[in-house]
Amino acid sequence: MSGRKWSIFSIINYALLALFAFSTLYPFIYILAYSLSDGVAAMKYPIYFLPKGFTFENYIQIFQDTKFLEAYKITIFRTVIGTALHVFLSALFAYALTKKTLPGRTFFTFFIFIPTLFGGGMIPTFVLFRELGLINSFWVYVIPFLYNFFNIIVLRTFFQQLPNSLEESAKIDGCGDFKVFMKIILPLSTPVLATIGLFIGVFHWNDWFTGTYFVTNKDLLPVQTLLNDLLSQSIAQADAAKNASQTGTSIGLQSVAQTTPESLRMATLMVATLPILCVYPFMQKYFVKGVMIGSVKG
Amino acid sequence: MKNHIESKLASQQVYVTKNKKNIWLKIWQHRVFYLFLLPGIVWFFIFSYIPMYGITIAFKDFNFVKGILGSPWAGLKYFEQFFNYYQAGEIIRNTIIISLMKLIIGFPMPIILALMLNEVRVAKFKRTVQTISYLPHFISWVVVVTLMQRILSPYGGPINELIAVLGLDKIQFLGNLNYFYQLIIGSDIWKGVGWGAIIYLAAISGVDPQLYEAAKMDGANRFRQMWHVTLPSISGVMVILFILACGGIMSAGYEQLLLLNTPSTASIGTVLDVYVIKAGLEQGRFSYATAVGLFQGIIGLILIISANRISKKVNGTSLW
Repeated sequence: MSGRKWSIFSIINYALLALFAFSTLYPFIYILAYSLSDGVAAMKYPIYFLPKGFTFENYIQIFQDTKFLEAYKITIFRTVIGTALHVFLSALFAYALTKKTLPGRTFFTFFIFIPTLFGGGMIPTFVLFRELGLINSFWVYVIPFLYNFFNIIVLRTFFQQLPNSLEESAKIDGCGDFKVFMKIILPLSTPVLATIGLFIGVFHWNDWFTGTYFVTNKDLLPVQTLLNDLLSQSIAQADAAKNASQTGTSIGLQSVAQTTPESLRMATLMVATLPILCVYPFMQKYFVKGVMIGSVKG
Repeated sequence: MKNHIESKLASQQVYVTKNKKNIWLKIWQHRVFYLFLLPGIVWFFIFSYIPMYGITIAFKDFNFVKGILGSPWAGLKYFEQFFNYYQAGEIIRNTIIISLMKLIIGFPMPIILALMLNEVRVAKFKRTVQTISYLPHFISWVVVVTLMQRILSPYGGPINELIAVLGLDKIQFLGNLNYFYQLIIGSDIWKGVGWGAIIYLAAISGVDPQLYEAAKMDGANRFRQMWHVTLPSISGVMVILFILACGGIMSAGYEQLLLLNTPSTASIGTVLDVYVIKAGLEQGRFSYATAVGLFQGIIGLILIISANRISKKVNGTSLW
């Protein structure tokens, strides 16, 4: 390549990195191929890279499933509402902490730092949620995740390096502190807001735990919890299949439709993951910086 | 406008006198900022500090009807119950083994990846590998485990198909005692290594290029430059992240283990976090589970404080 000398060190390095990238990417390629396959064919013939009996049937089926659509709606709602509120409230908090003259500033920082070292744990949290009426409510997905120490620190570090003069000139023009925050600070902070938004948005999109343990109302479950249910079902099915193969009967293969529980599961997995996979490459330039900002203060 | 003049006057006064009396004036001046902080203070109080008080559940015979305050005290009964539980030792051992293995094998991985990426001179290749490496960070553990189940399946999974093509026996990977730890550690690294490398890459990009020039003059090859320049330059970041990781030794990652641990691997896969969730949320033994959780939290706290102390003494780097 352009006359550069390729040492053995470089060749091994490139080869290992390529192998690493492949092993990271391959599972997704495989699942995509499986989800686009005729379910029965996928059970009979091995898939490596390309679908067997190409079809959109799996996707059509899950998008006709009202349970899935409801869950998808819950996931989208909680992600949008949870992310917007988290970013706005944390930014307000962090902005106040940048005021060096604010009495009690150190105290407030410690007040939010201590819980990162030691917390009440799962059960007291559950009891609290119950007392607050959060169990089996949509708000259990939003309210417990409104703030986070590390995100506040990342935001604070970013706000600190904005020039003070902007704020002062806005004040001379008659802006109050809130107006300064809304009109000057927030618009200037898109990169860090996008970073925090991505962090918390990914959390909301992927959280299955809250739905599994804090919600029993089936109409309130998010997609990831649904996927978790499918996962435990399929483990049970695998056991059943093992038993069935021992007794000589075959299950699943006699279905007339092109789909199988497994192919539907793979399509559900793709739909539960794709939005995030489409977003993150575009956010990359932001979050790499965001992590660096966060790392400065540890 | 009135506000503005007021606050300007006030700040001048503060500047001139700096008296203790002025603290109230200062607070009044910052009233809007306290309003900004208020929702957060209330939130942290409710969602972080009230659960800390909720730990008293561990010392009570808690039941929901009576509430935390009304439930009778039980002393150390639930701690005794846990330590007398015949599998308690096993659970503690599993927790330590799994998180120690994650720490020892998993901790250096992002560093190695960052060093390897740093040696890449083809920008496009570097960017592509990096983008791909972040991908697993953005998917949930449910998705990872579903992926693993499909890929490693003895029924048509590509790994087993490949094994079969090679003429070997198919392997049931999941739920298998022989492969459990490998899969736990492997999937943990797969999911986190790319993301973990970001911070080291950032640190590496901050190394003074003159140091490399000097090393080159002294005849250091690429590997020696890496060893003698890059590594020492990022050691500060390494220490901080290591301290943080040490605090987590008593928690082995509950999401992953809740999903991957099956009855067939329970003897080596049941860890404290998972046990707390199972005993508490699934079986409703709230006081007992809180006691186990408290034991875990205290050990974690002791570990992180000692790690911080030690590193402060040894090389002056510390979290606080």
